[in-house]
Amino acid sequence: MKRRNFVRGLLATPVAPAVVLGGQTAPPPTAPQQQPPPQPNTPARQVPRQPQNVPHLEVTGVDLVGEPAPKFFTALQFSTLRKLGGILVPPLKNNPGAIEAGAPEFLDFLISASPADRQLLYLSGLDQLQERSKDKFQKSFCDLDSQQADAILRPLLVARPWPQDLPSDPVQSFMAQVHEDLRTATMNSREWTLASEKSGHHFSRGFRTTGYYWAPIDPISEG
Amino acid sequence: MPIKKYDVLIVGSGHSGGMAANILTQKGISCLMLNAGPEADYEKDRTIKHAYELPYRGFNKPGRLPHVFQANEFNANQWVDEKEVPYTAPPDAPYNWVRVRLLGGRSLFWARQSFRLSDYEFKAAEIDGTGDSWPISLEDLAPFYSRVEKIFRVSGRKEGWPQFPDGDFVETTYPPDTETIKRVTEIANKRGVGVSKWRAALGKDGLASSINLLLPDALSTGKLDIVQNAIVREISVDKNTGLANGAHFVDRHSGREMHVKARAVVLAAGCLESTRLLLNSKIANSSGVMGHYLVDQMYGVSVVASVPEARDGKAAPGLMGGNAFIPRFRNLKKTEKRNFIKGYCVSINSGGSASPNFFPLYGAELQAKLDSYANSCVSGGIFGERVARYENHVRINDKVTDRWGIPVLHIEARDSENERNLTKDAADTLEEWFHEAGWEIICKTDRVNPPGYSIHEVGTCRMGNDPKKSVLNKWSQSHDVKNLFVVDGASFVTAGWQNPTMTILALSMRASEYLAEQMRTNSI
Repeated sequence: MKRRNFVRGLLATPVAPAVVLGGQTAPPPTAPQQQPPPQPNTPARQVPRQPQNVPHLEVTGVDLVGEPAPKFFTALQFSTLRKLGGILVPPLKNNPGAIEAGAPEFLDFLISASPADRQLLYLSGLDQLQERSKDKFQKSFCDLDSQQADAILRPLLVARPWPQDLPSDPVQSFMAQVHEDLRTATMNSREWTLASEKSGHHFSRGFRTTGYYWAPIDPISEG
Repeated sequence: MPIKKYDVLIVGSGHSGGMAANILTQKGISCLMLNAGPEADYEKDRTIKHAYELPYRGFNKPGRLPHVFQANEFNANQWVDEKEVPYTAPPDAPYNWVRVRLLGGRSLFWARQSFRLSDYEFKAAEIDGTGDSWPISLEDLAPFYSRVEKIFRVSGRKEGWPQFPDGDFVETTYPPDTETIKRVTEIANKRGVGVSKWRAALGKDGLASSINLLLPDALSTGKLDIVQNAIVREISVDKNTGLANGAHFVDRHSGREMHVKARAVVLAAGCLESTRLLLNSKIANSSGVMGHYLVDQMYGVSVVASVPEARDGKAAPGLMGGNAFIPRFRNLKKTEKRNFIKGYCVSINSGGSASPNFFPLYGAELQAKLDSYANSCVSGGIFGERVARYENHVRINDKVTDRWGIPVLHIEARDSENERNLTKDAADTLEEWFHEAGWEIICKTDRVNPPGYSIHEVGTCRMGNDPKKSVLNKWSQSHDVKNLFVVDGASFVTAGWQNPTMTILALSMRASEYLAEQMRTNSI
C-alpha cells in the first residue's frame, strides 16, 4: 500500500480512543467458537499456519570450529608466506601477529578467490623470494635467520604515498601488496579484535575493523 | 484498470530528482518518479559487525567493484554492481564510475561539502581566456542557492571572497585554531592566500539526503508516486510533435517491460546515466555535443608532514588538531601567469597519524616509527579542477549490454598537460608551506586517482545559448525537445573545484520552477 493511502486509510477508519475504552467495563469473554476438526485434504488444512514467537538461536562462527585448509599455494610457497607473516607482522605488545591471527591461511583463501593478476603477483613474488634465498644463502627462505631475511627483504621495501600505489618492479610490488594484506588480515582478525577489546581499544588505528555492514538490499533472486 | 496519467515523469531520486519532485508537486503538478533500484531499510539492511565476521575479513570479495576505490566489504552492497551494469573504457584510460541506485541515490552517502560556484567558474572563458562560459551567472543562481542552503542547513564561515561566495549559513561556532593550523594560516596569508573553514550540510538527524529533506514533503502533497526497481530503457517520443511523451522501463526483478506516459520528462538519474538514457533514446542531440565535455575533479594529491615537537605523544595542549579549508587561490588575477589555467582548493588536517606505507620498514621497527609519529601529522590534500574538453566523452557501446539488455556506456577521459601542471603546483606548494613551518615531509605525491573517482562527474549535456554548441538551454531544458529537462550534473559547463551538489540542487530547483510555470501557462 502506498504510504499516503495507508495514512488516508488510518484517518478514515473510526478509532475508539484508548481513554474511552479504558473507562469501559470489559465485556465478558466469549467462549471460543467450536470449529469442527479439519478433515484430511480439505481446504482448511491448506491454510498455512503463521509461526509466532520463533526463537532466535545462537550460532557459532565458522572460524571457531574449523581450521582453514590451505590449498592454493604449494607447500613451499605457503611456508614462505608464513615466514613472511612472522617477520613483517610479528606479535607486538599485547596484539597477535600475523601467524597468531591466521593471516597466511586467510590469504591462501583470499588469493585463491582473486583475479589472475593478483594470483600471479603472489605466486611469482613468493617464488622470487625463495629463488633469492637459494642464490644468496643456499637455503629455503623459511629457514633463514632474521639477519639473512632482512638482507633479502629490506631492498624490496619502498615508501609509497597511498596503499594502492604499487611499485613498477614486480617483486617490490609483491612486497608492498603482501605487507599490506598481512597487516589488514591480522588487524581485521578475531584475535586482534579480542586483544584490542581486552586492552580497552575497540577500534584499531588505520583499519576498519568494526562498522555498519550493509546486507544485500532487495537482491535479485536467481531462482 | 485505468492507467494513471502524470504531468511529469522524473527519472532518478537523488538530490536533483528529489528537488524536482519537491518543487513540482508543491505547485500542484502530478509526478511519477521511477528509480532504478530499491529502497534501503536502515533498520533491516544495516547492522554493526566486526570485519572478522564478514566472509572476506573486510577485504571485500576479490574482483568485485574494481573501479570503486571507496568500496569495502562493509559498504559493498550499496554500490552498483559493475558486472550487472558494466561500462567500457580504453585499457590505457581507466575511469572510475561510482554509482548508487538505491532510492535517494548518491544523496544517501555524499560527503556533504557544500559550496557555491563563483563567477570564476560561471564566466570561465573570460577568466581563463579559453573554453566556454555558462549561459548563467552567480547572480542568476544566488537566490536558489540561498533556498537550498536553508533546506540543507549549511554551516560555514562568511569571508566575502569572490572565488568563495558566501551563502545563507546556519550559525556556526568554531573552536579556536590550534597552533599548527595557525602556522599554516600565517604562512598562507603571507602569500596572499585566504584560509577559511569547511562548509557542510548539516541536514537533519544525521542525514542530508533527498529521502529525508526533499521527498517527504513531495509525498505529503499527494501528487507524487514513487516506483522502485524501475529501470528506464528509453524515453518515448510522439512521432507527430517530436515531444517526449513518457518512457519505456523494465522491472528490475521480473524483467517485465512497461511504458508510462507523461506530459513532460525530467531526467535526474545522475550525469552519465541521464546521458546514457538520452543516447540510447537517440533524441535531443542535434548539436552532436551530447556525451562530450565529460569532466570532474582531481583527488589524490597529498603532502603529509610530521611536527617534531608533537612526536612520541609529547604534543603540548593546543598544538595539534583541527582543520582549515583554503578555497582556490591560483589564477584569480588575469595578470597571474602560470603553466596551467584554473585552480584547486586545499584541505588541511592536523593531528593525524602516519600511514605504514610511508615508511620502508617492517615489524617492530615499523611499529616503533608509527607509534612515535602517531597524532603528530599535518596533511594537505586538494580538489583540483579539470578542464572540460570535447575529446573527453562517453558514447554508447552497443556490443555490450547490461543485465536488462540495455547498451552500456563507453567512457574515454584523459588528463592533459594542464592537469599535470596544476597538480604538480599543488604538491610543490604544500611541500613549501610545510617545510617553511619546520615540519618533516613524510609523504608527497602529485599523482591523482583516475577520472571519475571524485564522484563529481558533470558536463555531458552542457547548457548554452547556442543550440549548435549545447544540449540544454539556460533552464536545463533540451533545445530540441522542449518538454525534456536534465536537472542533474550533466548540464554543467565547467566543473569548478567545488563539490557540485549545491549547484545541482539550485539548478534543479530553478529548472523545476521554470517547468512549472511553462506548464501553468500551457507553454508545455
